[in-house]
Formats: sequence, C-alpha cells, structure tokens
Amino acid sequence: MNAKPPTPGSQSSLRESNRARIIDAIKQFGGLTQVELAGATGLSAATVSNIVKELTALGVLNTTQSIRSGRRAQHVTLARTPGLVGAVQFGLRHMRVALADTSGSLLSDHRLPLGTDHRADAGLDRAALLIADMLETVDASSSELLGVGLALPAPVDMSTGLISSPGIMRGWDNVPVMDVMSQRINKPVAVANASNMGALGELKHGAAMGARHVLYIQSGLRIGAGLILNSQIFWGANGSAGEFGHMTVNPDGAICRCGNRGCLETEAGAAVLLDSLRGSHGVLTLKDMLRLAAEGDLGCIRVISDAGRKIGMAAANLCNVFNPERVILGGDLADAGEILLGPVREAIERFSLPSVAESIRVEKGSLGADAELLGVAAFALERFVEDGSILMGSGSASALSPIPSPVPTHLEDQ
Amino acid sequence: MNTAVTGPENMASVRRQPLIAMRGVSKHFNAVHAINNVDFEVYPGEVVAIVGDNGSGKSTLVKMLAGVFTPDAGVIEFEGSPVSIHSPASAQDLGIATVFQDLALADNLSIVANLFLGREYTKRGFLSDHHMEEEAVSLFRKLKARMPSIRTRVSSLSGGQKQSVAIARTMLGNPKVILLDEPTSALSVTQSAEVLNLIESLRERGLGVVVISHNLAEVQAVADRIVVLRLGRNNGTFHSTDISYERLVALITGATDD
Repeated sequence: MNAKPPTPGSQSSLRESNRARIIDAIKQFGGLTQVELAGATGLSAATVSNIVKELTALGVLNTTQSIRSGRRAQHVTLARTPGLVGAVQFGLRHMRVALADTSGSLLSDHRLPLGTDHRADAGLDRAALLIADMLETVDASSSELLGVGLALPAPVDMSTGLISSPGIMRGWDNVPVMDVMSQRINKPVAVANASNMGALGELKHGAAMGARHVLYIQSGLRIGAGLILNSQIFWGANGSAGEFGHMTVNPDGAICRCGNRGCLETEAGAAVLLDSLRGSHGVLTLKDMLRLAAEGDLGCIRVISDAGRKIGMAAANLCNVFNPERVILGGDLADAGEILLGPVREAIERFSLPSVAESIRVEKGSLGADAELLGVAAFALERFVEDGSILMGSGSASALSPIPSPVPTHLEDQ
Repeated sequence: MNTAVTGPENMASVRRQPLIAMRGVSKHFNAVHAINNVDFEVYPGEVVAIVGDNGSGKSTLVKMLAGVFTPDAGVIEFEGSPVSIHSPASAQDLGIATVFQDLALADNLSIVANLFLGREYTKRGFLSDHHMEEEAVSLFRKLKARMPSIRTRVSSLSGGQKQSVAIARTMLGNPKVILLDEPTSALSVTQSAEVLNLIESLRERGLGVVVISHNLAEVQAVADRIVVLRLGRNNGTFHSTDISYERLVALITGATDD
C-alpha cells in the first residue's frame, strides 16, 4: 500500500494521472472504444492500450470486442459486479435517467428538458428508451437490469405509483406509474417521492451521512422535504410524509395546486418568486434568476432571501417538533448559496427553541442536482438487489423503513 | 389576432432591444402569400420557437433571416437598425448563423475538418492541426456537448452528434443569433436530448436562438416564447409557460378563432 504520494513530474505520477484521465473519460461517456479514448484524452493509442490492459488486469476496467465503422474495436467500460438498476427522476421541467451499479455510483446518465405540465406517457416512454440506450453504451445485456427506481416531485402512493394528490402534476394524474413503466421495460419498478429520494441520496452519499435525525428541504419549483428519523427515511402512513411545501403558512393566502390555500409553496416556491419579478425583470426562468442574483441583482437577491426567511420559519416549526441534528437544503434554489441559506439559518435560530436551535447545523446539500438521482438509485438497489442493504456499505442497516402498504382510507366508507 | 407579447426586459441592464425585429414583413411567390404582414422579435439569451403546419410559412420566414429570400414588404431590423439581408453571406456578416435540415457537413471528413472547412488555421503555409483541434475540444466543452473524439469521421457519428457538430460550426463565427430548422426531426430520443441540452447552453451564452419545430413537446421544453404561424400570418405569440399544448395545436390548425 503506497504510504507516500508519488512526486509530481515522476514517471509514476504521470502514469497515475493518465490512468485517471482514462477513467474519467469512460465515466463521462459510459463506454468508449480505445480509439475514442485516445481522441478524448489526447493520449497516444499505445499509451491507451497499455493503461487499459493494466486496469483490466486490476479489475477496474472491462473490455469487449465490438464494431465501429465496420472495423473491430475494443470497447472499454468500467468493470462492475453484475447487477444494475435504473434510476429515473422527473422534475417539473426536466427528467434525468441513469444506470447505477451495486455500489450505488452512477455509470451513465442523461438529462432532458421538459415543458410545463408534461405528460406521463411521453415521459415514461422516453425514460424507457433512454435506459435501453444506456444499457447498450455500458455493454450490459438487458438481463443485468434488475429493476428501476422512479422519483416523482409529488406525493405518491408507493404501492401503485399513483400521485396521491391530484392537480400537482396535471399530466400525471390517475396514471398508475408503476404498472405503466414496468410494462414498458419489462422489469420491476418502484416509485417514490423525489424529496424523500433527495434525503436518501444525501444520507447515503452526501451531507447527511452519519447523522441520525435530518430534515432535508428541497426547494425549487416545488418545495418538499424528506425526513430522516433514526437514520431511516420516514414514509408515513401512505408514503406522503414530508409534504413540507403544503404546510399552511397563510390561511388567507393564494390557492395552491393541491387545492388548499396559503401553502408554503404559494409563498416561497420558485414559480411565485419568478412571478413577482415579472413586472420589473420580465419573464425569467429559475436559472436566469439564480444567475442574476449571483451577479448582484438586488431584486432577485431580495426575492430569494425573503423566500429563505419563510422557508426557515416553517422549518423552525418542524425542528421544534422533531429536533433534528441537521437541516440540509437541496433543490435548484439552494444553488443561490448563502443568499438562501443565510436567511434560513437566521429564521431557524430565531423561531425555534434555544435548545433545539443549538443542536442544528444548517447546510447546503453536497450532491447538488444529483441528490435525488443517487437517492433513487439507492432505493432501487435496496428493493431489487438481494441483500441490497448489506451491499450498500459496511454493514449499515437499511436506510429504508418498510414501505407502507396501501391503507384503506376512511373516506371510502362514505 | 396578434397577442403582442414582447420579449424579456431586464432590470439589470437598460431596456433591452431585440437582436432581430421583423415588422410587417410579407413575402409572396407569384400569387401565393407565403408570409403576410408578420411581426417577429428575438432577444439575446432567449429561445423563440416558430411553430405551424406545413405551408404556414415557417421556412420562408427563417430563410428571409438567413438571407435566402428578401421580403417584399416590411422592415427587418438588426439591433435596432434597419438592414437588408440580401445574401447568406450578409446574414453571416451581421451575426446570423443558420443550420438547415441537411446540415451541410462533409461526411468523409473529420469533425475538426468540418468545423474549420474554409477557414482552416495555417502556419507558414501548413495546416495548424494542433491549434484547430484544441479549439474544437474547447468549443465542445463550452457547449457541454459530449463528443468523444474530434478526429472521428462525421459519417460515423449519430444524428444527434452530427447536429451538434453543425451547430458548433456556426459558433466559430461568433454569431449573435442562431437559426435552427427542425433540429430534432430525424433524431432518436437520446439524440434529441443532447440537442435540446445544446440549445439550452446556447441560450445560457446569451445568444438569440430561433427554432423551427413541429415537435410541440420539445418546443415547450426549451422555448421561452412560441410564435404560431398559420397560413402565412402570425396567429399569436406566447410565453411557453402561459400556453397549453391543446391551445397550441388549436392555434396551429385553426380550430380556435383567436
């Protein structure tokens, strides 16, 4: 085991940096032929061939014969234990699809922008096609795919994938997502709420690692939360726990998509922030607003920090109730950094009990936009890989409490 | 009815003016009015989609901006001043770059060769390959386009990659406006995803992007504003977040009398 790092400029450090370049290139594209690797890294064909041989012997890379432009080529991918899961994440304006191996790391991913009120059928179709495409890129046969996890930005019934609150994602109402998707790809599918998956991602790989009680708040076009209690994701009676964005903060407020009025989302959700900027700034997208705020635009900064104060106050109420160690902010709006976090932190300190406030660390998620995708990959692994929880790292107990089975609602009795 | 929706105005800068403005533009071919009294604007840092049925005049409109046709009536303004775009070269000189459906790439040449076709870097009479390759790599990185090797022949690229090369090539002239004619019509889902992401990154870089497309789902995904053409007339301009798929279809087909 090397105790000393190689001296810079030495042969061994050059070899290490070349190896790293090759591995990075493969990670970026999922799989490349040796010729493509030479082009992508700028290394000579001989160097690439040598390094690939070394890394294949070490078990880091895997090569297969393939064909490019009618000629034989060596296709190089990351070596992995057999067994892959698909991870699909739908946002309100985009979707991401990835393949993950049994360690939970993403092998390949794609991103696709979507229109407002995008439809379920088109979205699920695209997800299935993208998964098939990625399987080919990483040289995996379809039998290696064990299952797919799917995250939706709405409360879902985890036994069917139906959105449990109609109106939040109009193009997806009444779609039994689990059945529809598993028919399309012929594999088992598990569906969960995106904020819960973000929390799971940060718990497994990010800023929530090692903590037992965490409030993960995702803010962007939607506001949602994932609760981590006793190191496990808390689902609630039917999987709807964590609908932080639908806490009533103003009983006389605006009507929310969920049907209630004065939800936190109607006061601090990104759509509302962008609307409030229409008069002065014209029509902006969330990215525009974040960019302008970073450049010092006072209007955008003000609107984001006011939202932070409202989110922080609502979070303070939750913190009083369950006393978390950490409050982690994720989602697109968290990209505003301290502009959002500062007011959240201040509000939590101000509005929660001193004993509660002093044990809380308020942080930005460390996984950025990948939190939900990594979380849903971890979710799929725990569901579809045998002994998945053991595979998921040094004997840690499962991060998932049992999924709630469908509970008959009292409304059915009427 | 023309819903006069102007593009974004910014608090951070002085009231922005459009990169391109067409006012009351008409074009006819003998008795056929391909374009009839159309108003149209593109601002920096926005994506405007032009949608419409076959025969609505989409291509004619874009060809007038690309310098292939000249208007019979009306004014075209570039950054506030009236201009006459009488040839493709003059369009390029103004800073308007166009990618038509046929892409116009040389299949037998590499990506780098295609990018620099006609404007190769030379050093003492020899091609400066190294210099061109560096710039090609850096360009694709800036556009966040995934291109494994720039020495690959264009003929072995996927449709989406070819589209990315065609778009990247226009970027070398530092255009202010890019016109894309049906960029994803021949592409698979994966490939379209790459092109849509590329369009978004062009927008981030402050360009005005005009996209003709009949794929309304994609239009709603990337466009800031949508211009509906019907039978040569502007049947409405909308912010993409303000209009539903159904209403768009209705305006394109004429089902509503708006």
